[in-house]
Amino acid sequence: MRDMAKPAFVLPRAFISADLLQLFYRLLAALLICLVLALLSDSFLTLGNILNVLRQASLLFFIASGLTLVVLTAGLDLSVGANVALSACLAGTVIHQTGSAALGVVAGLATGGVIGLLNGLMVTALRIPSFIATYGMLWVLNGLTYWYMAGEVVHGFPPGFRQIGSGYLFGLPTPAYLLLIFLAIGTVFAQRTVWGQEIYAIGANPVAARLSGIPLSRRLLLVYSVSGLMAGLASIIFLARLNSAEADIGESLTLPAIAAVLIGGTSLFGGVGTVFGTFVGALILTLVLNGMNLLSVNASWQPLVTGVIVILAVWLDMKTRRRGQ
Amino acid sequence: MNMRKKFCAGLTVLAVATIGTAAHADNETVAVFTKNQTNPFFQAVRVGADAAAKTLSAKVLHYIPTKPDSIPEQLSQIEDVVVKKPDAIVFTPVDYKAMVPGVEKINAANIPVVNITDRSSAGKFIAFVGADDYSLGLETGRYLLKAMGGKGNVVIIEGVKGALTNVDRVRGFNHALKENPGVKLLASQPGNYQRLQALQVMENLIESHPQIDGVLAANDAMAMGAIEALEGANRTAQVIGINGTKEAVDAIKAGKLLASGDYNGFLQGCIGTMIAVRSLRKEPVVPEIMLKPTVVTKANYQPYETPVESRACPTWDEAARLAGK
Repeated sequence: MRDMAKPAFVLPRAFISADLLQLFYRLLAALLICLVLALLSDSFLTLGNILNVLRQASLLFFIASGLTLVVLTAGLDLSVGANVALSACLAGTVIHQTGSAALGVVAGLATGGVIGLLNGLMVTALRIPSFIATYGMLWVLNGLTYWYMAGEVVHGFPPGFRQIGSGYLFGLPTPAYLLLIFLAIGTVFAQRTVWGQEIYAIGANPVAARLSGIPLSRRLLLVYSVSGLMAGLASIIFLARLNSAEADIGESLTLPAIAAVLIGGTSLFGGVGTVFGTFVGALILTLVLNGMNLLSVNASWQPLVTGVIVILAVWLDMKTRRRGQ
Repeated sequence: MNMRKKFCAGLTVLAVATIGTAAHADNETVAVFTKNQTNPFFQAVRVGADAAAKTLSAKVLHYIPTKPDSIPEQLSQIEDVVVKKPDAIVFTPVDYKAMVPGVEKINAANIPVVNITDRSSAGKFIAFVGADDYSLGLETGRYLLKAMGGKGNVVIIEGVKGALTNVDRVRGFNHALKENPGVKLLASQPGNYQRLQALQVMENLIESHPQIDGVLAANDAMAMGAIEALEGANRTAQVIGINGTKEAVDAIKAGKLLASGDYNGFLQGCIGTMIAVRSLRKEPVVPEIMLKPTVVTKANYQPYETPVESRACPTWDEAARLAGK
């Protein structure tokens, strides 16, 4: 069995080395945006603003990094935003009712993880296409959250807990540390472990992956659970950063998270992409909003500007990729 | 059931016609349409409608789109309602223009309908009950600028671009600013009524503007997001929001938020339902009640601490007096 696994591994490895080359180009797009912003605004290249961008990108990155693994297997998780909303509301309520921030964190992570696991079970055991399974989950979660919160806002948390989201450590915001840690974990997991490689193999060619002895269902369960768990983590950061949560916080998170994954070069067809690319994708989206605020772009024009820059960034990336190959 | 109810109602009408005294046809069904399950404002509207129905011994059925503010969903709910034929409808259009075909369907089915909160751009209604967002923005804005002594730097955090409420609130803010030439508007940026986006916008604005004295946010969630950003950066500014949510009242009490404009969803729900039932009972109604906005501040927040569930609807005389003219 192990011998047969070899060919399935060779293919993704080839893609990854091309990816590494691409990443350099992809950072180019982000750096280009930075250069333009630095020229246009005095406040862009200040330490405070750079830390702002990192902190703002972190929430998006947590959600998008778990999602990256799902997309690598040619799946999709549309429930991440709704997951963040429910997990945050539950975690917030637990903190209020027990007075224990630790229990709240556990509740948030567990909720996120369980939702992910359920998504995984729908995809593997019930064989429902991931788009449909997670789209259904999105509505189930929305329904639960709306019912549970009944229009209320859960707010006001202990200062110790708030440190996770709004604190600083040696001058760097706490979420920025978490971002670097999970960027490292995600990269090592995807590129350097057997499980990570198997995830690429599943996305590149599920039939070959199955024939080469990769336990398809278990790996898929893993990626959906991780995606849910990362949404759970994002919910904790959200709570700690904003000191409150309500039922509708998730809706504006899903699409940007998917966009961050795709702008980062991960293919919807699976097998191609990196967690680092997703970080760059999250960075580009954050930079665009940051820049528009700093430059006081008229509110009416902001959606248009965002759209144009995203399209240009990906176009530039595809052009350089072709040249790279 | 429905047949019997209609039969009973018919009998009562007959009885009234014969006896010629005031009707008291109890147990009418009123369908109440609100925009979403997430905004505490509409939760207050529903609680108000329930409270009014209870005192009048009528029955309320709530119709709420599962996807917040969904036009197709509200349209299909109208199609359902037209078939089920409640005795009357209290209606908030999710979109004041796009829902006109829906209103026309209700009119064609000859179901009496009261328009509340957002004024529909066409259609026949017994009455309109609302508060205008323009004066809400204006009054709350004035309160802030007065507290600032008519000088200093402010920023506006706008809601969803293109939403009627936002257009009017921001227009109100700008009018208040025009009255105070000593106050400088540094930026007017979109937060889409979302807490997280408002937090990030504020973080960015803090970087580009060393001195911000006041923040005008188009809803409470964004005002709270802005406050978190200010606290995180160790900066102080006076902040106002809109909606008079419980969270905002808590923050006013704690001295974090300066004020919140309120257009009283509870009262709108109460009065809208009262008008619907009164018109069914052939009792006199008023064609329009514009509630005066209340600016909730440290001086008058106490009544707002009572949860809406335990508030009582005004009597008809009190309500009619609110019509002003």
